[in-house]
Amino acid sequence: MSEIRDEAELGRILRGLHRLEDVFLALLLGAMVVLAPLQIFLRNFFDAGIGWVDPLLRVLLLWVGLMGAVAASRSDRHIGIDALSKILPETLASVLGLVTSAFTAGVAGMVAWHSGRFVADEWKFESTAFSGIPAWMFESVIPVAFGLIAIRYGLRTRAQARGLLSKRRGRNDPASRASGGGPA
Amino acid sequence: MISMILLALLALAGTPLFAVIAASAMYGFAGEDVDLQVIGIEIYRLAETPVLLAIPLFTFAGYLLGESGAPARLVRLTQALLGWLSGGLAIVSLVACALFTAFTGASGVTIVALGALLYPALREARYPENFSLGLITTSGSLGLLFAPALPLILYGVVAQQMNLDQAVRIDDLFAAGLLPGLLMVTLLGAYSMWRARGIVETNKEFSWSEACGAVREAAWEIPLPVVVLGGIYGGYFALSEAAAVTSLYVLIVTVVIRREISLAELPGIMRESMVLVGAILIILGVSLASTNYLIDTEVPSRLFDAVRSQIDSKLTFLILLNVFLLALGMILDIFSALVIIVPIILPIAIGYGIDPVHLGIIFLANMQIGYITPPVGMNLFIASYRFQRPVLEVYRATVPFFVILLATVLLITYWPALSLYLVNR
Repeated sequence: MSEIRDEAELGRILRGLHRLEDVFLALLLGAMVVLAPLQIFLRNFFDAGIGWVDPLLRVLLLWVGLMGAVAASRSDRHIGIDALSKILPETLASVLGLVTSAFTAGVAGMVAWHSGRFVADEWKFESTAFSGIPAWMFESVIPVAFGLIAIRYGLRTRAQARGLLSKRRGRNDPASRASGGGPA
Repeated sequence: MISMILLALLALAGTPLFAVIAASAMYGFAGEDVDLQVIGIEIYRLAETPVLLAIPLFTFAGYLLGESGAPARLVRLTQALLGWLSGGLAIVSLVACALFTAFTGASGVTIVALGALLYPALREARYPENFSLGLITTSGSLGLLFAPALPLILYGVVAQQMNLDQAVRIDDLFAAGLLPGLLMVTLLGAYSMWRARGIVETNKEFSWSEACGAVREAAWEIPLPVVVLGGIYGGYFALSEAAAVTSLYVLIVTVVIRREISLAELPGIMRESMVLVGAILIILGVSLASTNYLIDTEVPSRLFDAVRSQIDSKLTFLILLNVFLLALGMILDIFSALVIIVPIILPIAIGYGIDPVHLGIIFLANMQIGYITPPVGMNLFIASYRFQRPVLEVYRATVPFFVILLATVLLITYWPALSLYLVNR
């Protein structure tokens, strides 16, 4: 019973996280859509742009891109070659799906870890980006985004493993066949 | 070597390509005893490439337009202006799709947004079913040689990372894509007129009142291609400026003036458009690292020597390049192909005396065919899904269009002046 409660709890946390990510992404993109034309306007009509807007826009691009990538991993919409999965038998395809998700989770985790070390070093050496703002603040999106992606693919791996297990069980037990299936 | 084969297998099995590239970069750097912090440093270079700003801004504007009533107005307008021609509706489809794809970045949106309007109209005008299906499927990727299409921008960005002797300016790419793109539209249009002889469309007469009505209805959208294309091709403003102005303008028109998109829908559209942008940029980010590794270890120049020892003429190289790119287009989508393959083949092509701008047009034209190449061309599946037709039927329907596009690709490849004539050097 407690397992079901944990699942519900996990679902609730994930939905909250999705909402948070969506709002954050909308704010980042919104800032870009407003700041970029504003800078052009100021430069053309008053001959002077705001000094920190251009570097900020470039940082926003990095953030928007990586948060977009996090949103893409929510439903596995990253670009990949999906030719094989279309022609393979279903069980083999789901086993492959499990392997590729686990691999992706592992790689994203490694990128998060090593870029996290990079950000920590930047913090230690107090490097600055522009206008005296510490560089680590802007760079921190890299480990955070890859960490979130690793979590997504980790959860996906878990769901796929369960789907496979329940499918095997379902072969002997017709009652669970209807409910057994792949990841949501 | 074994690990590289393993990675290739993982890629074929459907692993997200960013993970495959990141893994190969980290594996390579680890082998050279480089601290793997480098991966974070390389990804941060995304924030040091100002022109990339154009990608999310144009994509967002494109998604907004796709969700609004703009596609319907675009169809009505082109119909009013071109519908009186023989095969008018088919030509309308080609022109409208090419314009729309240039603005939305060839992501399959065109078939969904415009195909849903054009396909029923073509059927109603008694165009044969397989012709209509093939036309719409093919038109879905037409226009990616026109500014400000994302693939052109991305090619420029990737080429600029390579520190070539010859700079590859995105403006030059825009100019270079113009004639080849027009050639594609013209040839497909001529074929459509030929197929449409004998088909009598209902509204055959050109009507001033309909034309004026359509222009008035699309009054807010008409400035967009004029300002953006005119501004970019005329050299009045930079690409990222055009993108900035476009995104804000489209946002104001669709949400505030026309009210076709509500504030509540906005975050969802923002997320959807940024999923595509994120999927592209994360691949670009990690491949900055892998490309750097490739250049450090002089892979491209070693590869060139290897190729050079086998192939001595430029012509043979170009033939093999076409075959290779067509095969590549069958398995890889245009964005990842650009980011992964261009750093490898660009130095080789330059070694054979091919202009990097010309190579970009060859590359994209080949990849455009990849969208409709069986068995896995993306547009084939989108069309099959969207119009509820078996994929095999879509395959058959696109064959004549495929042949025409292949002919243009060969022309583009072996006639460099077609691409380079408009480039100011």
